[in-house]
Amino acid sequence: MRICIIGFGSVGQGVAQVFNMKRDRIKQDYDLDLQLVAVADSKGAVISEEGINPALLLETKQNTGRVSDYPEYGVNGVTGMDLLDTVEYDCLVEVTPTNICDGEPARSHMLKAMNTGRNVVTSNKGPLALGFTELRDTAQDNNVMFKYEASVGGAMPIINFAQETLSGCEIESIYGILNGTTNYILSRMAKEGSSYNQTLNEAQEMNIAETNPTQDVEGEDAACKVVILANSIMNMNVTYNDVMVKGISQITPESIQLAKKEGYLIKLIGEVSHDSLEVSPRLVNEGSPFAVEGTLNVATLKTDLADDVTVVGKGAGSIETASAILSDIISISKSMI
Amino acid sequence: MRLKLVLELLDVPGQLLDALNPIGRLGANIVAVIHQRDVKTERGTIPVQITIEGDEETLNKVLKMLETKGIQIIQVDGILRKEKITTILIGNIIDQDVKDTVNILNQLDGVRVADLDLKMSDHPEHSASKIIIEADYGRKKLVTSKIKEIGSNKGFLVINEV
Ligand SMILES: NC(=O)c1ccc[n+]([C@@H]2O[C@H](COP(=O)([O-])OP(=O)(O)OC[C@H]3O[C@@H](n4cnc5c(N)ncnc54)[C@H](OP(=O)(O)O)[C@@H]3O)[C@@H](O)[C@H]2O)c1
Repeated sequence: MRICIIGFGSVGQGVAQVFNMKRDRIKQDYDLDLQLVAVADSKGAVISEEGINPALLLETKQNTGRVSDYPEYGVNGVTGMDLLDTVEYDCLVEVTPTNICDGEPARSHMLKAMNTGRNVVTSNKGPLALGFTELRDTAQDNNVMFKYEASVGGAMPIINFAQETLSGCEIESIYGILNGTTNYILSRMAKEGSSYNQTLNEAQEMNIAETNPTQDVEGEDAACKVVILANSIMNMNVTYNDVMVKGISQITPESIQLAKKEGYLIKLIGEVSHDSLEVSPRLVNEGSPFAVEGTLNVATLKTDLADDVTVVGKGAGSIETASAILSDIISISKSMI
Repeated sequence: MRLKLVLELLDVPGQLLDALNPIGRLGANIVAVIHQRDVKTERGTIPVQITIEGDEETLNKVLKMLETKGIQIIQVDGILRKEKITTILIGNIIDQDVKDTVNILNQLDGVRVADLDLKMSDHPEHSASKIIIEADYGRKKLVTSKIKEIGSNKGFLVINEV
């Protein structure tokens, strides 16, 4: 399968690394040859129909910060859209930054790929949270596959899990910790009794929180995931503005102490149910599946037949997120046979 | 074994049959039904006393079935069933008088504030209060949505149970 990656940051590089690690194994196990034919970052691209060497590309990006410095095949100034016009490929991996204002440039990249008959895999929440229906319908109209497991919970299996493993069950609601950064902050506050600001600073020093932490701490990132789950698993037709969002920046050590006295922890919980779409700090029992620490993500799906099913996993990380992208690519290749 | 339940039914035709029919289907015997249509609760519902018989597993199934059908069981063997609801509010507790919040909650039918704990913070506008509420079984949704409403009126951050 000829793959084109747009966006070569943490996740894009993770995908290249995973290709490098697993290419032979995947050829053996699935008779699938993963061929990287084009990669773009914000400054340029590299295009090669014979295939780009992932190890050399990673080295080049690390050394100069540009994929276009790849020997012989690099081209400066080529944009993602240019790439999609010129390259022959089978599947687009869209991993540019999440934009929750208009979903761009990812939205245009994905639509263009679909409209020209290509499959799309993404970890990008923005366009899915703003215009899920448009993307799903465009994929359907063009008879291509659209997979986005990595967009919710990174390596934590949830979308394909609900759609495939739990198929036949009706999913009545989903409750989950869908953001690793806030879970880290709240867990540390509970353990150390430290203030919110102090703990946020610590998380920033450890690169767990971003310099501008708004999307995470104000619940916006989790709200995007709530929308994706509502649309993809619960067949709702909702967008970002339908979610009631409250973040964690007002949580105080005193409130955590009060909760502890009653055997509760405070966690930022995303709720997807037919009654409510909500991201807010909630009380969870200390012994419950939601009592996970660090940057872990967790989600409980309430089903009619299987009762409650809970999944836990790493919500972020370069290789971890790439693992979900790889599994989407493999499942596309299976359906192409 | 026998179990004496008090169910709370709406005053509409068919409600009682709706509750009783599946009990027999699950294999429990209905020993007695006391249904006084003229006795109403404050909420306008009718309490119906039923006695059922069966093995423990069957009786548990019956309780679960009634719950999933949304039928409130308010008493089991003479003991009133209550739910405990915990909530934490963060905000300016002094200005926005928590006592008033407690009063609003106490005015709800079948709801009582059982405990209140306050913790002042260095920043008074971010003080925290914990409220523990005891409510008749099945009132949890109503109580939590009322608390949310109070929170948004008074500018409190509401932390409800999941
Ligand atoms: N990181 C995670 O663990 C994780 C987990 C789940 C989902 N996600 C999602 O996955 C996506 C990628 O995340 P990331 O962490 O890899 O982000 P990142 O490290 O910021 O990388 C973004 C990449 O996109 C490139 N880019 C930006 N604008 C572009 C444009 N207009 N055209 C082409 N390339 C462009 C950047 O180019 P330069 O290199 O030139 O700056 C960079 O290579 C995001 O949507 C994120 O929300 C991430």
